[in-house]
Amino acid sequence: MSLSRIKSKHPFFFQVVLFLFPFVLLPILDKNIYHIDLLTSVGIYVLLAMGLNVAVGFTGLLNLGYAAFFALGAYTYALLNLHWGCPFWIGLPIAGAVSMVFGVVIGLPSIRVRGDYLAITTLGFGEIVRISFNNLDEWTGGPNGILGIDRPQLWLPVFKGGFHWKLWSFSVNPTPYFYLVLALVAVTAYLLFRMSDSKMGRALVAIREDELAASCMGIPTLKIKLIAFGLSSFIAGIAGAVFASKQTIVTPDSFDFVLSVLILAMVVLGGMGNIWGSALGALVLGTLPELLRGFAAYRMLLFGLLMILMMIFRPQGILGGQLIRRELASRQKEADHESA
Amino acid sequence: MKEFVKRFLAALSLLFLAVLFCGAGEKEDFVTIGFVAPLTGDQAYIGTGVLYGAQIAVEDANIKGPVFGNTRLKFAPLDDQHNPTQAVLAANKLSADPNVMGVVGHFNSSCTKAASSIYHETRVVQITPASTNPEISRQGFDTFFRVCATDDVQAPAAADFVWKELQAKKIVIVDDKTTYGKGLADEFEKKFKKLGGVVLSHDGITQGEKDFTPLLTKIKSLGPELVYFGGIYPELSLLLKQSRKVGLETPWMGGDGIYDVTLIRLATPELAEGTYATMLGVDPHSLPGARDFITRFEARHGEIGSFSAYGYDAANVLIEAIRRAGKKDREAVLREVRNTKDFQGVLGVINFDEKGDAVGRSVGIFKVEKGKFKFLQEYKP
Amino acid sequence: MLELFIQQILNGLTIGMVYALIALGYTMVYGVIQLINFAHGEVFMVGAYLALTVMWIFASLFPGAPFWLVLISLLLFSMLGSAVLGAAIEKIAYRPLRGSPKLTALITSIGVSFFLQNAVMLIYGLKEQSVPEIIPDVRWHLGDLSFSLIQLIIFATSLGLMFFLSWFIKHTRTGKAMRACAQDPEAAQLVGISVNQIIRTTFVLGSMLAAVGGALFGMYYGSINFHDGYLAGLKAFTAAVFGGIGSVPGAMIGGILLGVFEGLGAGYISSEWKDVFAFLLLGAVLIFKPSGILGEPLPDKV
Repeated sequence: MSLSRIKSKHPFFFQVVLFLFPFVLLPILDKNIYHIDLLTSVGIYVLLAMGLNVAVGFTGLLNLGYAAFFALGAYTYALLNLHWGCPFWIGLPIAGAVSMVFGVVIGLPSIRVRGDYLAITTLGFGEIVRISFNNLDEWTGGPNGILGIDRPQLWLPVFKGGFHWKLWSFSVNPTPYFYLVLALVAVTAYLLFRMSDSKMGRALVAIREDELAASCMGIPTLKIKLIAFGLSSFIAGIAGAVFASKQTIVTPDSFDFVLSVLILAMVVLGGMGNIWGSALGALVLGTLPELLRGFAAYRMLLFGLLMILMMIFRPQGILGGQLIRRELASRQKEADHESA
Repeated sequence: MKEFVKRFLAALSLLFLAVLFCGAGEKEDFVTIGFVAPLTGDQAYIGTGVLYGAQIAVEDANIKGPVFGNTRLKFAPLDDQHNPTQAVLAANKLSADPNVMGVVGHFNSSCTKAASSIYHETRVVQITPASTNPEISRQGFDTFFRVCATDDVQAPAAADFVWKELQAKKIVIVDDKTTYGKGLADEFEKKFKKLGGVVLSHDGITQGEKDFTPLLTKIKSLGPELVYFGGIYPELSLLLKQSRKVGLETPWMGGDGIYDVTLIRLATPELAEGTYATMLGVDPHSLPGARDFITRFEARHGEIGSFSAYGYDAANVLIEAIRRAGKKDREAVLREVRNTKDFQGVLGVINFDEKGDAVGRSVGIFKVEKGKFKFLQEYKP
Repeated sequence: MLELFIQQILNGLTIGMVYALIALGYTMVYGVIQLINFAHGEVFMVGAYLALTVMWIFASLFPGAPFWLVLISLLLFSMLGSAVLGAAIEKIAYRPLRGSPKLTALITSIGVSFFLQNAVMLIYGLKEQSVPEIIPDVRWHLGDLSFSLIQLIIFATSLGLMFFLSWFIKHTRTGKAMRACAQDPEAAQLVGISVNQIIRTTFVLGSMLAAVGGALFGMYYGSINFHDGYLAGLKAFTAAVFGGIGSVPGAMIGGILLGVFEGLGAGYISSEWKDVFAFLLLGAVLIFKPSGILGEPLPDKV
């Protein structure tokens, strides 16, 4: 099975492996814990950006309260773990599911309203979630949040001294988290690529470009939009659970409007609708604050300026416009074939 | 294919750039003392005050010479923005640095508590200069120590004072829902009720909130003789100002979180007049041992904050422990901190009990008079 | 008990007036260019800081000045400053995006909001700034009720400005032109109205009102913070939508009602959920009656 064969038959798999493989080698080459930790955090941002991209980039649904879905996932795992000792690997999909359910519940009434109104509704939802977590101290620990969340644990086979299984837990060392996040990013990217090339993906783009025309073409716009919104929330929930297990603490102020805007900026910067674009946006905006440590006070200023300039001069983002271009290119190829 | 290669190289180069930028490690013979407090954000002023105190301690030690062998001290301050999540991140960072032998921190009880489990996990000794919440030392972490009094001493002292000296029978309690504020308010309520007092209502506000007029109007209609506030001075200054607006004339009382000259400045001396506060220990200005430290501090940094001396003492306890340990080993340093006996700090003698709390720390009661905090009486547990 | 109720309503009305002033800016701008101007809350906040600056200048240069002089000066100055700011924002950030999709302009307005917040923070500092007590503490009592001079000033100024705005929109040429642009910009252009100019005027008017709101807000609460614009702006937007976005009387009513509901909710139920009431109200309105109280149902263009 030659390389080009794999590439043409499984282009997405090839892409994902190619781009993410260097990161697999990273902890082996660079032992600096701080770098690994930073990239793990960036990885979580990548997940979030990809997730938001599904709603904003693919479908044109502006979600300004994305941090709330992230929070819901994080708190779901935290609460399950705190009250019932729920292990991470079970809490992870539940967290995703909870976020997804909220996504659908919020989406149902709001998706019907006009674009900018959806933005405000989601913003309101984001604030409601944050304030609720802050106020319900009996259940959520209030402003102090939830402490002592369990880290993920794995049963590892041990061969020394007879074969048995040993329970091994993640620790303060970020390296296991790094690989976990990397794996999640790879799976998510792959699935999103497959989706973008499917009937569902095209439906999303159609809805984004012209909803009325799309519904005239027989696309069940409401259902599709809800699926996109739900999927987007699911990814946020997953990211939230991982975040909670790494931090071992969740507090409401980690999930504020600024975070929602930050993730939106990552999606916009990288190019709305472009999966690698979201990853790139997350990489840039996730590492930038660390590189610019000395300029922390100017962070929001530059950030705001960045958004203004981006929208005026390059609203399609760094890698944006690709989807459209590829569409046009393939259409051109077909046209050429026809005429030949 | 060319597109692919381009993008692949772009990703790689970004990765390496990031690695480069983050700097290479250094090699030297030193031991690091970590420090965490809110250094940016609305409590930056307080946090930086503590930082300066600790910093002076480290610098003093280095001037005297190596702390052992030919090892000197390095000071690594980090910012947690009084945010527990940031606190955990800072704790992770400090723990990951093999040169860190101990941490002076954090400042806010919520942050100290959150970080304490990390330090316990990584066996880094933690000495907090000012976190007063009793829960922290009840977690059973052998790596935790504090040089200040706790709220289960501070709040009952306040309750006693209100009941006996002020003869107030019916009061209202407000807290800011943080680990510190709520903890303090709850302890106060417990003691006050035990003494036979009546708590007309106990409400919570959120840090950063602005409009308290509905709450204050409600409190006014209840007619309390005093309002006890578990929280810090930014919110109290707003509460005092708005109390005036709704016509609420009752005196307020708080804990060490409101004991700061900035309160008087923000709320105006006129409105702050008559406010009571407890503070961990007496006014440092009155202690002979502290005078020298205060003079040096003020020469360098101007007005001294309420907690700077605590930062100084906490850092010195750690430095002494490192000196006695004589080697770059976290467990050894931890052992020596635990073995601290009759340490002479500027704020008095320090001994730790088995939970890590400082033994015999007194609490002072103060009242704002003519634009300044005036010492009224001392309360020793 | 009744007195407490009335007192809460009075206090709620006070902040409601401020919300109304801000809401007017949102509603007018949305009326002409269908943009939710995120940065409008920041203009409110800047107005408060400009007023504070005037107070500082008076305190250091003319400490003996009578309070009404200081008051008028700071109102005028903050109106002027924010008018300039509003026009600048419109020109630099929104005009280039006139033909772009709504999403783009919305994101830009978020960027402007962040930029302004941070700029003010860098200039004036992170901490809460204490606003000097300019207005003498005169209070009138009726039993347990109290009504203060500052509240009277807020009422008078807000109502005065609102009436002025209504008159302006109804009876002046510019006002008519604004209504025309809101109704149909193309037709307005055809009859010779300079749409660009009208849009700028709309921004300027809205900004001036917001600035007055900011100045009054600062004086009422006694302190301001660079973050105040965000929350107040969001609530005022809620009020504008509640009253019917695009409708001037709607914004006024919406603002006042929101203030009262919030005050009652905070006083009787719980003050920590105060903000949630506003957001829930917003959500409910957007979902069930997007046109608000006084708005017209928005047609679905086919």
